[in-house]
Amino acid sequence: MSDRRDLMTAGLEAGLLELGRSIAYPAPAADFASRVAQRIAARPVPRPWWSGQSRLFGRPVRRAALVAVVLLLLLAAVAAAVGLGLPGLRIIFGFPPGVTPPPSAITATASPPGTGASGAAPGAGLGLGGSVALGRIDAAAGFHVLRPTDPAVGTPDAAYVETTRGRQASLVWSTRPGLPATLEPAVGLLLTQYDGHLDTGFFSKAIGGGTTAEPVVVNGSNAYWVSGQPHFFFYTGRSGEFVEDDSRWVGDALLWSDGTYTYRLESSLGRETAIRIAESMR
Amino acid sequence: MTVEGRPLEDAELIERARRGEVMPYEELVRRYQDVAVRTAHLISPDGDAEDAAQEAFVKAYAALGRFRSGSPFRPWLLRIVANEARNRRRSAGRRANLALRAAEDRRPDDAAPSPESAVLASERRAVLLAALNALRDDDREVISARYFLELSESETAEALGIPRGTVKSRLSRALDRLRTQLGPGEPGGLHV
Repeated sequence: MSDRRDLMTAGLEAGLLELGRSIAYPAPAADFASRVAQRIAARPVPRPWWSGQSRLFGRPVRRAALVAVVLLLLLAAVAAAVGLGLPGLRIIFGFPPGVTPPPSAITATASPPGTGASGAAPGAGLGLGGSVALGRIDAAAGFHVLRPTDPAVGTPDAAYVETTRGRQASLVWSTRPGLPATLEPAVGLLLTQYDGHLDTGFFSKAIGGGTTAEPVVVNGSNAYWVSGQPHFFFYTGRSGEFVEDDSRWVGDALLWSDGTYTYRLESSLGRETAIRIAESMR
Repeated sequence: MTVEGRPLEDAELIERARRGEVMPYEELVRRYQDVAVRTAHLISPDGDAEDAAQEAFVKAYAALGRFRSGSPFRPWLLRIVANEARNRRRSAGRRANLALRAAEDRRPDDAAPSPESAVLASERRAVLLAALNALRDDDREVISARYFLELSESETAEALGIPRGTVKSRLSRALDRLRTQLGPGEPGGLHV
């Protein structure tokens, strides 16, 4: 009896294996994997509950526009990055006019205590985070913040750390001879260091029409010289989350990564000087 | 994605994905997209299996921090896929039946049978599938995992979120109920 049952089971199992190869399964689309990547890129970065109103609901129009841009233009981004020969860096072109962050959205968290509209430290109001003493910036950021050693630059006039959207540290130099004004009249040079990478990760950037992104090299690393209209971008944070950087754009930007950190240097000094300053950072 | 022609191991891709790289994760997606879509379809045939599988991959990416290094990725992923598909089945409020491929969709490597045997085989499959479709969800899932996805017992256990010992007992009972559905005229269901 047991033998017969075993035989029946064996027959049933063989029949099920055969049946399994005859099921009408749907086949994944050819772009299945890239669509997963798009969904990952479009996910909002979780906000801690104590950080106040959700950015998702606080700025729905902008967020929706952002997601739409990312979804619709990702393909162009990949093609552009591959075409530019910089694997790992994906830039999204064609950011539509009118979606530039409104100043009111940016300045909400920017002003450090004790600074007013006039007489504020340079960079206050750019959405760079909280003001910190220059000597404490490494401790506040939780990583070593590089500074240019180029003698033409000198000592920064203000320092900021932002920890609510990834970790970012910014150094700001006031306008002075040799450091002409950027779009922000009081700021001659802005250097931001992000605790995240773009070297081999997913990095997307939205820039406006008429803006150019020219591939350059900084200390042997792939970099972009971005000039033109305002822009914002995502980078990959240390925990793998996508972080949207929405700090205000003040000038032509040099953007690069050393594999651990990502850097953005903004000024009105032009490409070659920006690269020289970037390569002097220690 | 290769290094000197060598495909990267899942573990390497996972470690890089954990560091925030999406391109290695895309490679993992490509490796497992077929089995993920099949899993979603087997659990929720009337749902959008591709969409469910994509959503599961996104959730898996977000959950990589909880993935145990060194353990196999496929059953861990399939558990997330299965949960996603179950949620969609629950939302739909009903479960659709699995269907057979049309004869003309036969795989290129299938041996071409004679017309008579093809009809018989087709009838046998239809009878067996009808019996399977009549089973409850738990039974159909464990049978699908073992015989359709051809997962091992341990993979089945992880994918379905049940202890390994339960796989054996549940599968045994499911096959008993399948036999009952097939009736006495179909010993083993199939004369193979």
